[in-house]
Amino acid sequence: MQVFLQTLIGGVTFGAVYALVAMGFSIVYRTMGLVNFAHGSVVMIGAYAASTFYMASKLPFAVAIIVAIAVTALIGLVIERFLRPLENKDFTLMLIGTIGFGAVLEAGAVLVWGATGHAVPSPVATGPIDVAGIRIPTYSLMVIAVAAAATGLLALFLQRTKRGAAMQAVAMDHQAATAVGIHVGRSNAMAFAIGAGLAALAGSLIGPMLYVNPTMGGTLGIKGFAAAMLGGFGSMPGAIVGGLVFGLLDSFAAGNFQEYSELVTFLVFAVIVMVRPTGIFGEATVNRA
Amino acid sequence: MRFTSFSIAAAALMALAACAPPGQSQSSESNATGPIKIANVNAQSGQLSSLGQWEHKGVKLAIDEANKAGGVNGRQIQLDLFDSQGDPTIGTNVARKISSEGYVAMLGTAESAVTLAMAPILKDAKIPNITSGQSPKLAELKSPFLFLNAPTSVTFDETLAKYLVDDKGLKNIALISNNGAYGAGEHDAFLASLKSRNVTPSADEVVTPDQKDFNANLAKIREQDPEVLFIGAEEVQSGLIAKQARELGLKAVFAGGAPLGTDVYATTAGLENAEGTVVSSPYLSNDASEEIKAFAAKYKAAYNEDARMHVAKAYDGASILIEALKQTNGEGGQKLADAIRGVKRAGLLGNYNYDANGVGIHETKIGLVKDGKVVPETAS
Repeated sequence: MQVFLQTLIGGVTFGAVYALVAMGFSIVYRTMGLVNFAHGSVVMIGAYAASTFYMASKLPFAVAIIVAIAVTALIGLVIERFLRPLENKDFTLMLIGTIGFGAVLEAGAVLVWGATGHAVPSPVATGPIDVAGIRIPTYSLMVIAVAAAATGLLALFLQRTKRGAAMQAVAMDHQAATAVGIHVGRSNAMAFAIGAGLAALAGSLIGPMLYVNPTMGGTLGIKGFAAAMLGGFGSMPGAIVGGLVFGLLDSFAAGNFQEYSELVTFLVFAVIVMVRPTGIFGEATVNRA
Repeated sequence: MRFTSFSIAAAALMALAACAPPGQSQSSESNATGPIKIANVNAQSGQLSSLGQWEHKGVKLAIDEANKAGGVNGRQIQLDLFDSQGDPTIGTNVARKISSEGYVAMLGTAESAVTLAMAPILKDAKIPNITSGQSPKLAELKSPFLFLNAPTSVTFDETLAKYLVDDKGLKNIALISNNGAYGAGEHDAFLASLKSRNVTPSADEVVTPDQKDFNANLAKIREQDPEVLFIGAEEVQSGLIAKQARELGLKAVFAGGAPLGTDVYATTAGLENAEGTVVSSPYLSNDASEEIKAFAAKYKAAYNEDARMHVAKAYDGASILIEALKQTNGEGGQKLADAIRGVKRAGLLGNYNYDANGVGIHETKIGLVKDGKVVPETAS
C-alpha cells in the first residue's frame, strides 16, 4: 500500500508537468492546426531562463518564473512571425519549420549555456511531509498547485475574455472568424506566445526536480506530446487528463516492469490511441489539418 | 529524423565507396619523415559532447607538451580531431577514414559503445587505439590493438564490494541501476562481486536511462531498509536517484563508481543528500597527490577550467602513446602495439601495467563525498 501511494505521488507530480507541456502543444494545435515540434526545446529554454535568473541574480523563484515566461513568450512570437507567411499555404513546410526552430533553440542553448548543464537547488527549503510513512515533497505540492492555478487562469482567459473567445472562434473555423473581423494572425501569435509561456512554466517548475541541460527538452517534449494525444489533441481538459494519466502510467510501469517500463508505457499509449484515435476528449472541431 | 538517418546512410555509403579496400599497406611506410599523424576521435557535438571535449583537451595538453619538448625523436606529432558524435555508426566511418589516411594510432573515444564498434576495423588495419571507455566488454574483445586508459567496471566494483562488505561488514545492500551500456555493466560487475562474497542484494531495481521519477522503485527499496544503496547510472541520473531517495526518507549510504564522484552528481542530488557517498574511482580529486595537483594547475592554466578524471585519463593515455612512439621511432602497427603494452608508467590514475586484454590499471581507490568534493578514505 505504501509503495502504491508513493508511486501515485511521483506520478501525479510528473503528470502535472506533462499536463502543462501538453496544454502548450494543444493551444497551438487548436488554434492553428499545427503541431509545434519546437515545443520541447522551448520547455528547455524556459528551464534555463528561470534557473539562470534564479541562481545568478538571486531573484525569488516566482519572479524568475515570470521573467522566463516573458522571455519564452517572446520566442513564441518570433517563431509565429517566421511561420506566418506559410499559414494556409504550405502546411508541411510549417511543420518542418518548427522542427528547425527546435534544433536552433537547442544549438543556441549550447552556445549560451554550454553543453554540460547545471543543477538547480530546490526553492522550497522545508523537508518532505510525512503522512503515515508516505513522503510528500513540499516542492511537489507547489508544482501541483502552480500547475492547477495556471490551468484555471487559462480556462478563464479562453472562456471569459474577448481575446480568448476570438481564439476559440479561430480554432473552430478560421475563415468564419476572419469574416467577423477577427485577426487570425494575431490570434495565432497569441496562441504561440501562450503555448511558449506554458512551456516556460513547465520548464521552470521541472528544473529543480531534474537537471537543466540542452537536451532535456527531448523526452519532456515527447511525453508531453503523447499526453496531449492521449487526452485528445487540441482539447484543454484532455491535455490535463492526458498529462496526469501519462505521468501515472509512467510511474506505475517503472515500479512493475523495471527496464521494460518505457516499452510498456508506450504500448499502453498505442493501444489507447488505436481504440480511441481522437483521444479521451477528442474534438472534431479542431481537425483543421 | 528521417532526413538525418538518410544523410548518415548516404555518408556511410560514400565512405564505403571511397575506401573499399582499407589502405593499410600504405599507412605504415608512406611517411617516415614528416609529422607523425595521430587521430583523436571523440564526440564534439550531440549529447555526449562535454565528455568528448574534456577528452580532447587532455589529449591536446599531452601532445602540445611533447611537441614543445622536441616531439618524438625530432619529429612533430600532428593531432587531428574527428567528431564521432557519440554514435557507433559514425565511429565506424571514422575508423575507415583514419585507417586509409596514414594515422599510426588513435586516442579515444570516451564511449565504450563507439570504441566497440570501431575496434574490429582498427584491428584489421593494425592501428593501436587507447580508449577512454571502461566497459568490461572492451577487455573481452582481447584485441591486441585496443588499450584502456582506465580500469574496467569490474575493478571499480570489486574494490567497492571489498570496502563495503569485507571492511565495513555491510550486508543489507540494495541495487538500483539503469539498463544502458554503462549501468548494465555496473550492475553485472557489482552483482558478481557481491555473489563471490555470498551476499544477495535485498533489492535489485532496474530503471531506464531516460527515467526521471524513481518513487516507485525507491519505495520498494525502502521496504527493505537497506544499509547501502548501490547506484549504477550516469552522473545526472545518479544524482536524481540520490535526491529522491532522501526525500523518501531512505537512510542508506549511497555507493557507486566514478559518476558519483563528480560535481554534477553532488549538485543534482543536493550537497546535503550526497554527503557520505562512497565512491570507487582511480581519480578521486584534483588534490589527491602532488603529481595530480601539478597536473590540475597546468590544466587550469591552459584551459581556465578545473581538471577532472576524464581529462586526466585522456592525458595519461596520450602520454603512454608518446612514450611508446619514442621507442618505435614513430613507427606504427604491431611494433607500436607491443611498445604500448611494454610501457610501465606511474600515471595520474595509477600505475599502468598492461595485460593481454589491454587493461592497464588494476585497482581503484575509495573516496567519500564531503561538501560535494571527494576526499580519499584513509581508514582502509
